[in-house]
Amino acid sequence: MNGPILVVDDEPDMCWAMECILRSQGFDVVTVDNGEEACNQLANRDFFFVFMDAKLPDMDGMDVIRHAHAKRPGTVRVVLVSGYHYHDDPVIRQAIEENLICGFLAKPFTHSDLLKALPTS
Amino acid sequence: MPDNEMSPNRFELLYGMLLDAIPSSVLLVDEKLHIVSVNRNFLLKSQRGETRTVGRPLAEVFPTIILENTDIERRIREVFRTGTSVKGQRMTYRAPGVPIRIYYYSILPIPTNQVMLLMEDVTEQVRLSEEVRRVERHLASVVESASDIVLSTDTEGRILTWNSAAEKLSGLSAHEVRGQYFFQFCGSNQQQTVRKVFMLMKSGNESHTTEFPLVTSNGDSILVSWVFSPMKDDYGQTVGAVVVGRDLAERRKLENQLRQSQKLAALGVMAGGIAHEIRNPLAVCYSAAEFLLMDNISTEFRNECSRKIQAGIQKASAIIENLLRFARPSPDTEMVQVDLNTVITDTLDLITNQARVQQIRIQLELEQRPVLVLGVSGLLQQVFMNIFLNGINAMPEGGLLSIVEEISEAEVAVRISDTGMGIQESDLDKIFDPFHTTSPIGKGTGLGLSICYSIVQQHLGSIHVQSSPGQGATLTVRLPLL
Repeated sequence: MNGPILVVDDEPDMCWAMECILRSQGFDVVTVDNGEEACNQLANRDFFFVFMDAKLPDMDGMDVIRHAHAKRPGTVRVVLVSGYHYHDDPVIRQAIEENLICGFLAKPFTHSDLLKALPTS
Repeated sequence: MPDNEMSPNRFELLYGMLLDAIPSSVLLVDEKLHIVSVNRNFLLKSQRGETRTVGRPLAEVFPTIILENTDIERRIREVFRTGTSVKGQRMTYRAPGVPIRIYYYSILPIPTNQVMLLMEDVTEQVRLSEEVRRVERHLASVVESASDIVLSTDTEGRILTWNSAAEKLSGLSAHEVRGQYFFQFCGSNQQQTVRKVFMLMKSGNESHTTEFPLVTSNGDSILVSWVFSPMKDDYGQTVGAVVVGRDLAERRKLENQLRQSQKLAALGVMAGGIAHEIRNPLAVCYSAAEFLLMDNISTEFRNECSRKIQAGIQKASAIIENLLRFARPSPDTEMVQVDLNTVITDTLDLITNQARVQQIRIQLELEQRPVLVLGVSGLLQQVFMNIFLNGINAMPEGGLLSIVEEISEAEVAVRISDTGMGIQESDLDKIFDPFHTTSPIGKGTGLGLSICYSIVQQHLGSIHVQSSPGQGATLTVRLPLL
């Protein structure tokens, strides 16, 4: 699948960090800081991958993902990035089982954690 | 002939009639202490016939025990000798078959070389006054035995009575404080408030409840919870005040423990928001540090990473500092001048994270000028923290938390409204009860609002709730302005 990577986080410095890591590996990156803008982006173009913050000022990250799946079923691959949840959080486990997200990354993370979350193809 | 109308016979008749009409016992006694005449009242009270009384010696008519106890024969002789009357002596007389009676008697000399023994039955008055005294003694011992301070004042607040608990707690004797203004024994911060309470009681019927320290004889102060009640006469006029005070040392200790544990429970509720807020700067720092470990990065990027790390650490430590300040037990200090606006904004800083993770917008309308009240800022912060968190918890799907401050003449009202699920009507009058909670287990202790209530009361304020299911809730905190 083609297209840039979408980074959604309301904290500008978080976007800065993820953008730097991904760009250093040659990825094209788009960053947005709210749920509505994320929904728009996801509805209107293809993204290779999405890093989604769980808590956005206007929406829950998980709701943005649901919205995207409904609009373009089977095209959105997302890892949830959050300081709010933990690895074996029931909410996370359920989201993975439901194929809403393909993984979870807890803040803070190492650069290799972030890169490992990306699909190989 | 007019003289005939007043013949000796008629005089005697009139004299007899007058004597009998007197509602007291009258006896005339001659020098030999024989009874010359008696009126009907005496015969009635003593249960004697006239023939068995008139012409008989006093010693035969009065029981020996009375003669001995009252020494009445000697007194009569004394009156004959000196010509001066004896007045207001007490005699207890018990005629056969009649309950005991109490008399006040006087012995009065009359010019016919006789004395008049006048006996007034005061049994009923004595009984009443004894009853009154008994009730008074009982009330006095109730007041004296109370472990609470009980004192009374005139309408101006000058101390009239001061019980032994007051003496013991203050170290000041009733004698020392009598006539002094009560406010003189209150902390300097409270004097104005106490004077105001006395003013209010002059016209009002309500009791006033408050807490402030009592200054003791050695200059220390002890925290006391006070109830001021106006004292009314039969016509509803205020004639003074009754002030009851309870030493709060022990209760305050328990209350502080309870407030502290509730505060920690509130921190638990905020844990999610706190985690989110601290892990963001941590993640930025981590990444930036990892970039710094990389070779061949530009000086510009290196500097940027360093700045991000510094900013992140600063952000995280500011959050921690706020938490520490909130979690630390409030020192049990005296109330001081506090700007309510600062209290509210400091509290909001703590819950913004929690509001954000729940998609709750916060609308704040504070007065431009500082809003000064008398209080303990840590305690007031706990009040607003609990109310804000309740509002946030009522809106799991997001919403609006609005905080509006309104100033009127003597008080400030802070209205905190949420757009959440509202409160069932049946729960409305229970929400300030301790341990009343509608939160799931582990989410709330049911202590938050009861603690708000007690803190606000301690600040002489009030707290009210208004809500209907599905329409959100509004809590209004009112505090007197300085």
